[in-house]
Amino acid sequence: MIYEEMTNNIRSVCEKLLNSNDVEVIVAYRGGGVEGMQIPYFAKTPEDVQNIEWGDRCYQNIAPYVHGLSKKVGILAKPCDARILTQYITEQQIKRDDVYIIGVDCVGMVDENGDPRPGCPDCMVRKPPIYDEYIKDDRVDSLDLSPPASEDGGLEANFERFRKEIDKCIMCYACRQACYGCYCKTCFIDRDLPDWQPAEIDAGTKMTFHMGRTMHLAGRCVECGACEASCESGVNVRYIIKEVTKFIEDEYGYSAGMDPEQVPALLVNKFDDREVGFLGGETHG
Amino acid sequence: MADPAVMISKAEILKMLAELMKDATVFAPASNGKKLDYMPVRNVEDIVFGDDIPYKSPKEIFFPRTEKIITFKDGDAEAEISTEKYVLFGARPCDLEALDIMRKVFTEGRFKDPFFEERYNNTLIIGVGCVDKKPGCFCDERETDMGYSDKCDLFLGAQGAEDYFQALHLSEKGRETLGRYIDGLRTFQNTGHEFKPAHTLSIDATEEELFDKIDWESLVETCQGCGMCTYICPTCHCFGFKDVDEGGCASRYRNWDSCMFPKFTLHASGHNPREERHERYRQRFAHKYLYVKKNFGAVACTGCGRCVRACPAGVNIKAIAEKIGEDLQ
Repeated sequence: MIYEEMTNNIRSVCEKLLNSNDVEVIVAYRGGGVEGMQIPYFAKTPEDVQNIEWGDRCYQNIAPYVHGLSKKVGILAKPCDARILTQYITEQQIKRDDVYIIGVDCVGMVDENGDPRPGCPDCMVRKPPIYDEYIKDDRVDSLDLSPPASEDGGLEANFERFRKEIDKCIMCYACRQACYGCYCKTCFIDRDLPDWQPAEIDAGTKMTFHMGRTMHLAGRCVECGACEASCESGVNVRYIIKEVTKFIEDEYGYSAGMDPEQVPALLVNKFDDREVGFLGGETHG
Repeated sequence: MADPAVMISKAEILKMLAELMKDATVFAPASNGKKLDYMPVRNVEDIVFGDDIPYKSPKEIFFPRTEKIITFKDGDAEAEISTEKYVLFGARPCDLEALDIMRKVFTEGRFKDPFFEERYNNTLIIGVGCVDKKPGCFCDERETDMGYSDKCDLFLGAQGAEDYFQALHLSEKGRETLGRYIDGLRTFQNTGHEFKPAHTLSIDATEEELFDKIDWESLVETCQGCGMCTYICPTCHCFGFKDVDEGGCASRYRNWDSCMFPKFTLHASGHNPREERHERYRQRFAHKYLYVKKNFGAVACTGCGRCVRACPAGVNIKAIAEKIGEDLQ
C-alpha cells in the first residue's frame, strides 16, 4: 500500500521532469526479470513513466549507471544510491548539476525469496543524504539504527572464514561489476604488465583479487551490499571491507558518501599522518 | 539382462552411489554452504534430493574453470589428460541437453578436445527429471522436456510413491551399473513420456539482420557486464590460454573466458572489434541462437533459466529473444 503511494508520487515527479526536458533519461526500476522482482529501468519518455515501480524488491544499485553517462539524468536514489552519487561527486566522477536526484527513504530490500538483501539489516543510513526531490517513508523513523557488532574474530578465525568464503568464488567478477567504486577503466586484475593474475585460478589468485579490491575500496565503501547481493555463488567478502571502512571511520573520521563537500580520506595528504594503516606505521594506543 | 525400465527406491540409489564413490568422484546436488550446487560428495547423506535446481550447471566437471593442459620441458611437450573416473548424479534434462551440445562442440567439430572427451567418456551420467518449472525456467519453449532426456547413461523419472523412481538405462554403461548394484529389479511398463513443446523460441534470421536491424544498445542497456551469465550457463564454453614459467618448465593453462568481459576479443594492436558492452552481449546471443545452431545443429540455449534468475540487472535472454523476434517481423 505504502509502496503504491510512493510509486505514484515518484511517477508524478518523473513525469514532470521528463516533460520539462531537464533530463534526457531517468534511471529507476520497473517490474520484470524473474516474477515479482523489480529491475533497473531507463525511462526516456513521459509515457515510460507508467512502467516505473518502487517497492521492497528494488534490490539493485542503479547509481553506477550514471557513471560515464554523458547526458543530464534523473535518478531514483535510495539512501545507498544517494551515497554512491555523493561519493561520485567527491571523487569528481560526476557533476552535481548533471544529476537530478529523486531521493527516497528505504526500510531495506528483500530478494526473490523474501530474504533481506545483504547489507540492508545492518544499514544505518535510511534517508538519502542528498536529493533534489524527496519521497518520504514514515516507517524509517522507527527503525533501529544502532551500529552492527564487529565480526572481527581474531587473525586465525578471520583467515579461516576468508578461506571458506573464497572457496566458493568462481572469479566471475560480478562483485566488481556491481560495485559502484570499481570504475577503473582497466581493473588491476586484468592488467598484463605487471601480470597480477597467475594462470591457475587458485586460492592465491582469489585472495589477490579480493584483497586488492578491498584495499581499493578503503574509505570508499558505502555498504550498499551489492558485492554480496550480486554474487551468485554466495560469497561474502563484504565483512572484510566493513572492517576497513570502520578503520577509516575511527582513524580519519570519514564516512563515505555522506557529504558532497567533504574530501575523501584517501585524497587527503597530511604530513603529520601517523600512517597507522601501513606496516611499520604508528600503531593504535 | 536388466530391463530398460525399472523401479528403484531412493535407498537403493543411495546404496548404488555409495558403492560408486569407492572408485569414482561423485558429483551431486549439495549445499555449498549457501547455495545448491553440483558438488563432489563423499557422503551420500549430503546429496540434496528434491526439485530445486543447482545454481550453476555441471559443465565444469568436464570443462574445468582452470586446467593445466600441457607442460613443456627440455623440448618435449606433455599433455595432461585426466583419466579420473566421475559420476554425475542428478543432472536435469536442461543440463543433459546442454551437455550434449558441449559434447558436439568439443568432440564433433573440426577440432577434437581430448581433455573434454576423456572426462566425458570416463563419466557415468545419471539424469533426474524435474517436477515443476522454476521461476525463470523456459525449457518447454526451448524444446527441452523437463520430465525426460536420453542424453545420459541412466535416467530417473519423477519420484513416485514410497520413494520409488522410474529408472531407464540408456547406455551399456548405465545397464551394467544397474545390474551390478541393484538386486531384484522391479520392472514397470514404460508407456513412454509425452512432451508437447510450447511455442518454440528460436531466431530465424541471418547474422546481418541481427547486426543491422536490432537496437542492441537499448536491449541490454542495464547490463553491468559482470559475465556471471556465462559462468553459470550450461553451454557457454569460451576459453583462453595462459603460459607460465613453473619451476624450470613452462606450463600452459586453459581458463574460462567470457564474451562479456572487455578483454575478450581485445587484439594485441589495441583494437577491439567489440568495444561496447551491447556488442559483446550481441555476440553471446548470436553464438547461442545462431552460430552453434549453424555449426552443430542445435540452439545452445536449453531454457534452464539460470542467467535469468542470476542476472543482477534483470537482463532476460528469453524476453530479449522474444523482442528480437518481434523486431525482425
